[in-house]
Amino acid sequence: MPIEFKKNRAVFHDVVVVEEAEGLLDWLQNKPAAKVDLFACRHVHTANLQVLMAARPEIARWPEDMELRAWLESALKPAS
Amino acid sequence: MNPLLEQFLSESRDFSQGISEKLMQMEGAPSDQGLINELFRLVHTLKGNSGLFTFPEMTRVLHAGEDLLGLVRNGRIAYSQELADRLLDAIDLVMEMCADIEATERIDASRAGDSARMAESLRALIPEVPSEAPAPVAIHPGATPAGLPLLSEVPEAARKEALRQCRGGEALHWVCYAPVQDCFFQGDDPFFCARQTPGLLWGAAKPLQALPLLAELDTYRCLLQFHLLTSASREELSEYFRYVPDQVSIVPVNPQLLEPSVSAPPGNVQHHSAAADGFKGGAANSPDSPQAPAEDQDEASRERAAALDRILAAQEQILKLDDRPEWSGGRLQSVAAVLVNLARAAGDEVAISEIEAALAECLSSGQNALLLLWLETGREHLVARLSSPSASPAQVKHKPAAGPPNSSGEAAATEGAPAQSAASDGIKFGRRAEDNAPSPRSLKVDQAKIDRLMNLIGELVVSKNALPYLAQRAESQFGVRELSREIKGEYSVINRIVDEMQDAIMQVRMMAVSYIFQRFPRLVRDISRKLGKEVQLVLEGEQTEADKNIIESLADPLIHIVRNSLDHGLETPEVRRACGKRETGTLTIRAAQEADRVVIEIIDDGKGIDPAVIKQKAYEKGIIDEAALGRIDDREAVNLIFAAGLSTAAVVSDLSGRGVGMDVVRSAVEKINGTVVIDSELGRGTSIRISLPLSMAVTQVMVVESDGQLFGVPMDNVVETVRIAKGQLRTIKQTLAAVLRGRIVPLKSLNTLLGIPAAPRANSEHELAVLLVHAGGEVLGLLVDGFKETIGLIQKPLGGFLSGLTAYSGSALMGDGSVLMILNVREII
Repeated sequence: MPIEFKKNRAVFHDVVVVEEAEGLLDWLQNKPAAKVDLFACRHVHTANLQVLMAARPEIARWPEDMELRAWLESALKPAS
Repeated sequence: MNPLLEQFLSESRDFSQGISEKLMQMEGAPSDQGLINELFRLVHTLKGNSGLFTFPEMTRVLHAGEDLLGLVRNGRIAYSQELADRLLDAIDLVMEMCADIEATERIDASRAGDSARMAESLRALIPEVPSEAPAPVAIHPGATPAGLPLLSEVPEAARKEALRQCRGGEALHWVCYAPVQDCFFQGDDPFFCARQTPGLLWGAAKPLQALPLLAELDTYRCLLQFHLLTSASREELSEYFRYVPDQVSIVPVNPQLLEPSVSAPPGNVQHHSAAADGFKGGAANSPDSPQAPAEDQDEASRERAAALDRILAAQEQILKLDDRPEWSGGRLQSVAAVLVNLARAAGDEVAISEIEAALAECLSSGQNALLLLWLETGREHLVARLSSPSASPAQVKHKPAAGPPNSSGEAAATEGAPAQSAASDGIKFGRRAEDNAPSPRSLKVDQAKIDRLMNLIGELVVSKNALPYLAQRAESQFGVRELSREIKGEYSVINRIVDEMQDAIMQVRMMAVSYIFQRFPRLVRDISRKLGKEVQLVLEGEQTEADKNIIESLADPLIHIVRNSLDHGLETPEVRRACGKRETGTLTIRAAQEADRVVIEIIDDGKGIDPAVIKQKAYEKGIIDEAALGRIDDREAVNLIFAAGLSTAAVVSDLSGRGVGMDVVRSAVEKINGTVVIDSELGRGTSIRISLPLSMAVTQVMVVESDGQLFGVPMDNVVETVRIAKGQLRTIKQTLAAVLRGRIVPLKSLNTLLGIPAAPRANSEHELAVLLVHAGGEVLGLLVDGFKETIGLIQKPLGGFLSGLTAYSGSALMGDGSVLMILNVREII
């Protein structure tokens, strides 16, 4: 299971594939205050990335993978 | 070898064959769009397949071929003989590489040079695309202003790293990758692609436009684009993004822009300096200086005029540079793009077409003169139109609206680099649809599996044949007639099914002769071109089928014959004209089924064979003696060309004339129980007729009895069976003979031939059984004790120590479990 949906937190694991995007979108729509944990994530498919960019959820933990983290930070940090 | 590679090889062979075939067909119909499309599809698919493996040599050649065909398809290049020749050469090279791969699972390193040269020679036929751009990626001059402002976003660390690499001699490139919206459906992950970009220093994902609300977001449409800063070379990037060249713009980055001091917001001056550096950026956006306030019309138009002046001056300066860097083509395009944009802003359509024409001219000639001339003459007009108040700010403002990168990308694609984008269009066009060409409803099955089925059915036939014996035993030994009848009834049912099954399996092994015929168009074309002869090839009965082994073993003899016909048979156009024949010779290859044999005829209308010459040659070479010289008739003489060591060609060419050939043909045909006869009429032509069994699997054998033993004689050898009264036998010297229908037939006893110490037994009417056999062109009578039935059986060659027994060609299992030895008639007499 690439995304584990907990009560108020979506935990991303490993590679999150394109099929997850719809579920993620649904879940984020229903839980506007949800947090996303990206720590164990190594890659998200573009579809998931754009869901995250559109939803701008609070990021609980950034990816351990520094390269991915740089990408996601520049895309998801509210500052930009 | 893994199965995927195996399949690739087998498909590649099919494709190569198909490509050659289509090229041939195109010679007859150079403008047939359907053929060109099919040809393009074949090359394209083959290239795509080769891309699955790491065979860059093969891909490179095919890619060049594909580019070329893409242009032919779009009507940019006309089909020509030369083009066909080069493509055929390219396909030959690909086939050689396939052979390499088959042998060693990789392409020999020495092929790299060949493939580069081949790709080069193919590209040489493309007039516009320079050869140094192997994978054309559209260069979008307009992308610079849209992309480079993001330079300011590049974090300090990445910027320093970039500068460091830049000083280390690496070129920096800015890539703007805007995937198409439905790319997810094609299995693409643009983010992954962006992350894997070679030499990536920094990258950012940006929405194309403001992302919609969550409720309206379509997760399956890609709404992002990626900006990447990389230290990879343009070639690497082109290669990396070769599948999406139309979605990517690659712009070289001027390292100065990365220096902290210069990384101020981009303005006109910087763009100009960049452009003056030979930088493929355009000052496309410059005419509207962003600061220009629209409130004061006069002020604005004055400023515009000044800005325009600066832009045009910069373009002029660029055009006047007299160095010749390799990017001068890009520089020209950039200048032209700026001018076109200005003209468009001015609404001057005439000027746009003038500039484009000038650009095309300059690109092909390598001279800047025309653009410079236009700049001088058209300048005033342009400036006047642009700076006049009628050119409302709104109209000019329309251009920064090209700010959203995707539209600027599109605009740039149409404005700049016509050659490159056209080439890449050609490749992209219809890629997905064509890859899904309908596959034939057939299976590829390993031949070993069919052979196993064949063996099994053979055993079934044998065990089926045991039933009649069983029935006989039930009756004779145990006296149960009822049971015997029932067994016979069952037998007839099984017999019918087995027969049908055998037939069905034979059908599986059947192949159409088109398998060998399809290579003839190419062969005939190549040889006739080499010999300077005009030949029309007519193929008939390509659908005729025969057993796979037969068809395959027929290929080489047929090629020999066709070569001979072309080399010796057909004359050159001049000779033909002198003889009053049509200049174009006709070579007909015809296949047809006659009863249980396949007959293939190769007919030419050439000069024919002179029997006198053949006889003389054969006599000189000691193939026939003096007596035969006078005796044999013309037909027999002509057939002497099948004798070993006879060549009539005065000069040995690389095609034929070495004296091997026709005898090889005969032995190859005879090996598969076929016969070959030649008929020739001097001055009118030659016809060679090959007759082959439909299948080698089942041999029809006549069973004969001699001294209580059973022997099989292949029906191919049997002429007839007769009974001759003992009184009619004559003895001529030591040999027995008899007169049959006015002919003297020598007789030999099978017992004597096999070393059995027994005399032939006569029947109650004192008649001897004589089996007339046909061997080596002579008819001979074999004295046997009696004839049995004719049966079809599956002959097994003698193995092991027995293989030395040349008197027998093999053995077969009979229904009652006994072994039947099949005589090799030619050997024993």
